Amino acid sequence: MTNQELIAKLKAIVSPYIQDEEAFKNLSEDTDFVKDLKINSANLVDIILDIEDEFDIRLENEDMEKMLDVKSAMAIVNTKLAG
Amino acid sequence: MVGNDIVDIAQAKKDSNWQRPRFLDKIFTINEQYLIHNSKDKTEMVWRLWSMKEAAYKLCIQLNPNRFYAPRQFKCFIENDAGVVKFKNFSCYTETKTTSDYIISEASLKPSKLSSEIVKFNSLRINNQSEILRRKLILSASKLHHIIEGKLELKKDDYGIPALVVNDNKMHISLTHHGNFGAFAIA
Repeated sequence: MTNQELIAKLKAIVSPYIQDEEAFKNLSEDTDFVKDLKINSANLVDIILDIEDEFDIRLENEDMEKMLDVKSAMAIVNTKLAG
Repeated sequence: MVGNDIVDIAQAKKDSNWQRPRFLDKIFTINEQYLIHNSKDKTEMVWRLWSMKEAAYKLCIQLNPNRFYAPRQFKCFIENDAGVVKFKNFSCYTETKTTSDYIISEASLKPSKLSSEIVKFNSLRINNQSEILRRKLILSASKLHHIIEGKLELKKDDYGIPALVVNDNKMHISLTHHGNFGAFAIA
C-alpha cells in the first residue's frame, strides 16, 4: 500500500468524527487529530477500533499512546502490517 | 493547578457507542469495567469514569508537559462523588458532579470542592464555543484577581496546555467543552 492509499483510508476512517471541515479537506501527514480536526478524545477510541477493523490488526497500549496525528497512525499501521 | 472535563450526556449518547466490541477494554481497567457493569446507570458510569480520566490527564500534563493518549492507564477509584486517579507515579483527587444533562469532573492535587463554572452554549459551532468560553474565563479571572480584562491573555503551549498570561505571569486554568456544555476552572 502506498502512503497516498494509506492516507486515503485513514481519511475515510476519521471522517465521521471530525469537527473542522477545512482542516479535514487539507488533511496530510502533518494533520493532528485533536488540534487540527478537533476530534473529541472519546472518539479517538472509535478511530483506533476502526483502524483495527479496517487493517485487521490489534493496537496495544503503547500504540494507542501515540495515536494523535496522521503521521503516527501511518507509522503504527505500517509497522503492524509489516510484522 | 486544576484539570477539568465535561461530558454532555445527550451528545455522548449520539457520538459514542460504548457497547461497541472492545470499546470498554481499550479505555477501562478490569476494575472499572466491573464498576460499570454493576452500576444502575451504566452509561452514566462510563462517562463519569471517562471524565475523571480526562480531568486527571489535563492536570498530569501541566506537571509533566507531554501529549499522549493512554486513558486505560489512568486508574480510577471512586467513593460517592469523590475519587482518586493514578497514573504511574502521578496521583490526584477528583470531584464529580452529575446532572441529567452533563457530568463534570475536576482533578486537583489535594482534595478540593468542584470549582468549575459551567457554561451552556447556544451555538454548536466549536469555534464559537471556544470563543464564548474564553471570554467568560477572562471575565471571571478578571473579577477574581482584580485584573483588567485586557491584560489577560489565553495562551496554549506546544502541548495544547492552556494558561492565562498576565504580563509575564502564568495562571493555571483548565478548559473543557463537549456538545452544548463547557466549563472552566481557575487554579
